[in-house]
Amino acid sequence: MKKVTGRSMAVLLLVAIMVAGMGVYLFRLARDGGDWASFYANDSVYTQGVLNRGAVLDRNGAVLAAAGEDGLAYAEDASTRRGCLHVVGDLAGNIGTSILSNYLPELIDYSFITGTTTDGGTVQLTLDSAVSAAAADALSGKKGAVLVYNYKTGEILCLTSAPGWDPEQGVTFDLDDPAYEGAFIDRAISSTFTPGSVFKLVTMAAAIEQIPDIWQQTFTCSGETIIGGQRIVCTGHHGTITVEQALAHSCNVAFGEIARQLGGDTIARYAEAYGLTSSHQLTDEIPTAAGSVPAAQGDGDAAWAGIGQYEDLINPYAFLRFIGAIANGGVCVEPTLLAGEKPEQVQLMNAATAQTLAEMMSYNVQYEYGASTFPGLEMHAKTGTAETYGGTHAWFAGFITNANAPLAFVVIAERAGAGFYVAAPIANTVLQKAVAVLD
Amino acid sequence: MDLVSAIFGEAGPMLARTSRYVLPLVAALIVARCVGSMLRERYEPETWAYLYLPGNVMVPLRHWECILGRARSVDGQVNDPTVERLHACLIRDAAGDWTVYNLGRSETYVNGMRVPPGGSPIADADVLTMGSAAARFVDLTEEERSSLLKYRHAPGRRVRPGVTLLLLTVFQVLLLLQQLTFNPGAGLGVAIAFGVVAAVQWVYFIVLRASGQTGFEPELLAFFLSSVGMSVAASKTPEDMIKYIILFLVAVGLYVFLCLWIRDLGRVKSVRMYAFVAAVVMLAATRLLATPRNGAYSWIELGSHLTIQPSELVKVLYIYAGAATLDRLFVDRNLIFYIGFSAACVGLLALMGDFGTALVFFVTFLVISFMRSGSFATAFLAVGSAVLAVMVVLSLKPETLSRFAVWGHVWEDIYDKGFQQVRAMSAAASGGLFGQGAGNGWLVDIYAAETDMVFAVVSEELGLITALCCVVSLLAMAVFVVKSASKGRSSYFVIAACATMSMMLAQMILNVLGTMDILPFTGVTFPFVSVGGSSMLGCWMMLAFVKGCDTRANASFAVVRPERFTGGAGVEDAGAGDEGWYDDGYSDDAGGWYDDGYDPRGGRG
Repeated sequence: MKKVTGRSMAVLLLVAIMVAGMGVYLFRLARDGGDWASFYANDSVYTQGVLNRGAVLDRNGAVLAAAGEDGLAYAEDASTRRGCLHVVGDLAGNIGTSILSNYLPELIDYSFITGTTTDGGTVQLTLDSAVSAAAADALSGKKGAVLVYNYKTGEILCLTSAPGWDPEQGVTFDLDDPAYEGAFIDRAISSTFTPGSVFKLVTMAAAIEQIPDIWQQTFTCSGETIIGGQRIVCTGHHGTITVEQALAHSCNVAFGEIARQLGGDTIARYAEAYGLTSSHQLTDEIPTAAGSVPAAQGDGDAAWAGIGQYEDLINPYAFLRFIGAIANGGVCVEPTLLAGEKPEQVQLMNAATAQTLAEMMSYNVQYEYGASTFPGLEMHAKTGTAETYGGTHAWFAGFITNANAPLAFVVIAERAGAGFYVAAPIANTVLQKAVAVLD
Repeated sequence: MDLVSAIFGEAGPMLARTSRYVLPLVAALIVARCVGSMLRERYEPETWAYLYLPGNVMVPLRHWECILGRARSVDGQVNDPTVERLHACLIRDAAGDWTVYNLGRSETYVNGMRVPPGGSPIADADVLTMGSAAARFVDLTEEERSSLLKYRHAPGRRVRPGVTLLLLTVFQVLLLLQQLTFNPGAGLGVAIAFGVVAAVQWVYFIVLRASGQTGFEPELLAFFLSSVGMSVAASKTPEDMIKYIILFLVAVGLYVFLCLWIRDLGRVKSVRMYAFVAAVVMLAATRLLATPRNGAYSWIELGSHLTIQPSELVKVLYIYAGAATLDRLFVDRNLIFYIGFSAACVGLLALMGDFGTALVFFVTFLVISFMRSGSFATAFLAVGSAVLAVMVVLSLKPETLSRFAVWGHVWEDIYDKGFQQVRAMSAAASGGLFGQGAGNGWLVDIYAAETDMVFAVVSEELGLITALCCVVSLLAMAVFVVKSASKGRSSYFVIAACATMSMMLAQMILNVLGTMDILPFTGVTFPFVSVGGSSMLGCWMMLAFVKGCDTRANASFAVVRPERFTGGAGVEDAGAGDEGWYDDGYSDDAGGWYDDGYDPRGGRG
């Protein structure tokens, strides 16, 4: 009898299996419950497959999108709808990097404890409706992206991508229509572009630290030069110039020579160190695309790489971080999209280097672009006009030091012309709006 | 809804919403009280007789089936080198008469008379000689058993079952309130259903309490689980509650009957052969008469309204027939017969294409085999297990296999093979800890949710806490059975109870973990909770086996109180003339000691 009763312990094995299985279940429920509850067939939060609760708000609490039993309502203003489209997203899930695609558990207010039994949640963003609307208007039919963020607090005020559409109308266009090429892609975070001359900031930073006599050197530009057997064409005849003037004129001959002195490996190393070749997190759920700056071998390729051509590809968001670090004395306050999120800080570059670059970017504005082009803005910037097949990308990147508006920005207009003529006015318009809003 | 507003007026819906937070608390209290009472309280063994060994060493005999010998694993250890490791066996029948059998190669004597292969009776004051050790056998009188009983701990003093029952009633009232509020289809039928469950449990309690019973934990847990099941049924088919209520009454009735039936071990043994035959015949008939569903021939349709799944009832028969008293365990051919029987059952289930049930039977077979196996049997059982395993595999039909293909990847096939499970997981997560409210879920409308995915339905509507309470209920019952085993009277009851809990746990494991994609989804029921008449009947009947091994004082009406054995006369007189007819042909002629035919001598009277 004792033997039989002793063997009843076999039942405890089944008990142990069940306990272990429940452990696995509870772990998975705690980890993935939000995703499970967000499943479109969950009739407790979807009415016929359409989310019936939750809202996305801008930094002032204005509604960017609100779901109810009657469907989803967007912001009232059409420009705001366009300006925030790629961040907010649509219910069809067309934009994979959007809040509506990635923050369903927050919108349905899922929690392990309450499940989906509440009336829904809100996701408040740092975006500003008015600034985003201004960006959408300023892009006016051009493809590209406008990014603005506060380099002291990390708050992203504007993250606008074009082409987009009015989400209230839904997708009515033909996806093959060239005007809507890549409309579902958020160019600000998911695309990489040839940077052209804005990349000279990276080359310049490397030169400051790696070429001891950079401030004593002069460069003679006669419109073109041969480096490593490759012909480097410049934008003009700049004569004999200093490095400050070379950056202000965006002189390819001078920067080709600086890049030759640095070498392709050093340029690639600096691009990597400044986070330009890695993927970042816009939020915990939304990653950005990684750029690439391959180490050019040979003086000719190195020269082209140093002036932002060759095979360089830069993601606008990553470049915004880089600019933010320059503006903030070398410390990058990570951009944040979700209101109330505590930004992380990283020492992205040497403080002295950042200081020097900032002064040179101010010099660019004073002696080349013209301070009056940006009335009321304490502008520090660099233009870029990147040669690509089918046209030039117009870049304008920099920051302003206005007391109430410590903002860094990146503007890119895809195959839209020259940086100064196309991108700088867009930046000016959007920043004027931002400064007005922040005052 | 009308009922609620009639009673509570405007406050009804508000009350129902708030009650969502009270319900899991009540559930947790109910389960905690039952678990505490079953597992925390003292549980002393019974004593049936004594052996006085040389040197005045007293060995109490705690079971009806005791092995004597030198080995440490025996029930009455005799430390004498001339005694064999397993020397003799003392078996008490239900009438209170003891028989001694010789187990080893050397002899055993009673009062100097050699014990023949068929065993010899032994009574109070007889001298039992094994090797050179002589022991005096002392049987307990009725008075002695009565006085011993006072020192045994009876359940129900610290954790009063009446209070638990009251809580259970509150639980049912809350379920009803929520159903009437949230479930548009719920009306009088649902109210009657919960009313009947509550009435049955109270009548059951009052009658048994009046007759002196104080242990109610397994039944209370079963009533609790059935209440949850009733809520799921109300969510699924609120208009069809009457049929379900009638089946519930039948189930509890059969449970009571089976509890009373197994009070008498002799009676139980006398009809085991019928159980063997009935199990095989029922499965065979099912295969022939069944209407196929998803490739499985498990359901017989009787008219348009009644569908039965005989395999749920066969589970009871399988345990009834598969458990065995200690004497039988020592006989090889009994084991072979059992393996053959199991192979027939699993083989028929394989033919029916019911993989889930085949698997459940297989697990139960393994547990029963393990408990039955002596030293000899291991090899045999290994072979038997292998044969059965092959049959289980053969029961896999393409429909089931295709579900296996998505195991662990249901979220990658949300439109087809993972369709049910992703919905189950989504709904279960939506419930949170407290649930959406009884009758307020959507998952129950998905195909087979009320049976195969009932854990998710309960999680969604009643919340994770209540769902976990259901799981803990069965786990606690299983641990309780193991705890009871060491105090068991006969190995028959110990094996039957362990087999019952193995079967229920195997089902629960496959049901819950299958739904949640941790194990393959095999479509078996969650005991007591899954909606289905056949399943409910089977579960309640199997509960009798749990009660049958509960030997705590005054705990179980399926167990005769020790002082009530009057010997010979009266209620315990277990049918004379039923001497193990199915052993015909291999009992007496084999010359073994094992004859398990019930001895009809009718006690000492």
